[in-house]
Amino acid sequence: MSEQAKVVHLFQRQEHLAPVNVPLQTAYDIEQFLYAEAELLDAWQFHDWLALMAPDVHYWAPVRVNRLAREMDREMYPPGTAAHFDENLQMLGERVNRLHTNMAWSETPPSRTRHLISNVRAHTTEPDNEFDVQSSFHVYRTSSERHQDSVIGRRFDRLRRADSVYGFQIVSRTVVFDMATLLVKNLSLFY
Amino acid sequence: MDVSQWIDPDRGLIRGEIFHSQEVYAQELEQVFARSWIFLAHDAMLPQPGDFIQNYIGEDPVLVVRQPDGTVKAFLNQCRHRGMRLCRADTGNARNFMCSFHGWNYGLDGRVINIPHGEEIYNAEDREQFRATEVRLANYKGFIFGTWDTTAPEFEEYLGDFAWYFDAYIDRYEGGLEIVGLHKWVLPANWKFNAEQPTSDMYHGEVSHASAFQVMMPTPVDANSPPPDWAMSQLGQLASPAGFQFVSPYGHGTGWFAGGMPVMNETIYRWQEATKDQVAARLGPQRVTAHGHANIFPNFMMLSNYTFRVTHPRGPNEMEIWAWSMAPVAAPAEVKEAIRLDLLRTFSPAGMFEQDDAVNWEEEQRILRGYMARKVPLIYKQMLGRARYDADGLPGRTVPHVYAEEGARGMYRHYIDIMSGAPWPDLARLKQRREDDERSATAAPAKPDSFAA
Repeated sequence: MSEQAKVVHLFQRQEHLAPVNVPLQTAYDIEQFLYAEAELLDAWQFHDWLALMAPDVHYWAPVRVNRLAREMDREMYPPGTAAHFDENLQMLGERVNRLHTNMAWSETPPSRTRHLISNVRAHTTEPDNEFDVQSSFHVYRTSSERHQDSVIGRRFDRLRRADSVYGFQIVSRTVVFDMATLLVKNLSLFY
Repeated sequence: MDVSQWIDPDRGLIRGEIFHSQEVYAQELEQVFARSWIFLAHDAMLPQPGDFIQNYIGEDPVLVVRQPDGTVKAFLNQCRHRGMRLCRADTGNARNFMCSFHGWNYGLDGRVINIPHGEEIYNAEDREQFRATEVRLANYKGFIFGTWDTTAPEFEEYLGDFAWYFDAYIDRYEGGLEIVGLHKWVLPANWKFNAEQPTSDMYHGEVSHASAFQVMMPTPVDANSPPPDWAMSQLGQLASPAGFQFVSPYGHGTGWFAGGMPVMNETIYRWQEATKDQVAARLGPQRVTAHGHANIFPNFMMLSNYTFRVTHPRGPNEMEIWAWSMAPVAAPAEVKEAIRLDLLRTFSPAGMFEQDDAVNWEEEQRILRGYMARKVPLIYKQMLGRARYDADGLPGRTVPHVYAEEGARGMYRHYIDIMSGAPWPDLARLKQRREDDERSATAAPAKPDSFAA
């Protein structure tokens, strides 16, 4: 089974622990972009959200598993194996279209969500118009009469400056949920 | 508790109490889960000596371990001393398992190999008896099932005619299956909702999964042209649902479309078309298509697109789903990748099919808190009275429609049997007698109007 392979993931790289090195204005712009993105998701503006994606976007959320401490570096399933999302732009588009069919029962009536984004830290990259950005999220959801759940985790984004109202586009996103067994009934929305 | 007071398989009526009652649930752990064959592992999950995975029989954690000699053993993941869980990882490789409470050390075979101060404080003859509670195992073509019950029938006997159908999932291609992924999640619903769906419910697809079919099928090149021919043919199968359903005396069931299950990925579709003759040569022509969705009672299910899962019960109102994606070893790399992506996009917690099933089960479960909702019988009458034996070249008891509830009626008929607590040998005799009676009763051709009556 390929999960045995030792792979250094994006989120295990040491550079994420380095001090933030972007100018204050850039840090502010990036934060505001992430907040605006969260607003689009919470407002069910999924087509506008999709427009934030680069044409070659990769949206990936690997599965994780409980391991002995000495095998901690194998906690995440490597690329090409178990994932909750492993999407390109077209695949994300299908998910968005589904939510607008009026027959996506998992979101009928639609959930109310709040994407709370925090712990935003950005680093410069080569090329200099792209940035590696980490953030934490807490997505609180209520639906139907009294369902509520929370999904919490981290994101590792590559953002690229873009000539648009939002200022950036998302080149890649890795979502790491803080759960091995998902303690929610589904992941019907986006993180 | 006599569950037959709520279940009438002959008339196809079931009362919701069986999905709701805490008392029924406790009885299920004892009579169903502790006495049935439960899926524990696949050989491919344990390639090396010392490889282990933790799984469950009902609510009981079980460690499944590859031994140094290549065999597999399984035992209750519980220290004999004070009942502590021995190993707390889901999977990994170990040389032994040490209880983190008092340090009792167990070998890969579940035998105690060291007890701190054991020579001083225990009698030597007692120490020999201290071994982790062993699970009786069977390995069917790489699929490892276990049971606590030493009187349960042999696994192949338990499978019975379903073995023919099981092979259509796991033995289509030379070389068997490999693991490509795993998802675990919880749903606020009774485990039987998930079990009865692959056993007998293709009927929900058209409505429950309408949104996913719409967006996942290839779109036309422009607004005036139809989708590609291959995609139209797949949707066509849903539109005219000819097919079959099989039901086993031991509660297993499966249903499939006569033309095969719809495929929504062109790479997978092309490969399946290209290998049809190969599968037919290996398994015979019927089994090219006779693999829809299926369940081995109580909680091991498989879908035509290579998801294999157990549904662990977690109280009457909750289940935990563990779903492994597998792919034929013989498939080319791009097909394996297509299967991996297709699975996570359809039948995982983010999957566009699965998530709509989840809310249906959640709502069913929630409404069962009511009094009337549990009192009014639910209707399981599709294709009632239409079962035949060994018809259309299909082994066992089948009905000639993919939309049928014969599988569910059979599942609950067995559920009543095993929940009665009757010993396994008695159950086996009861099932044989019942089958003999039914075979003689259905020997004459059914009247054309028998369904209407």
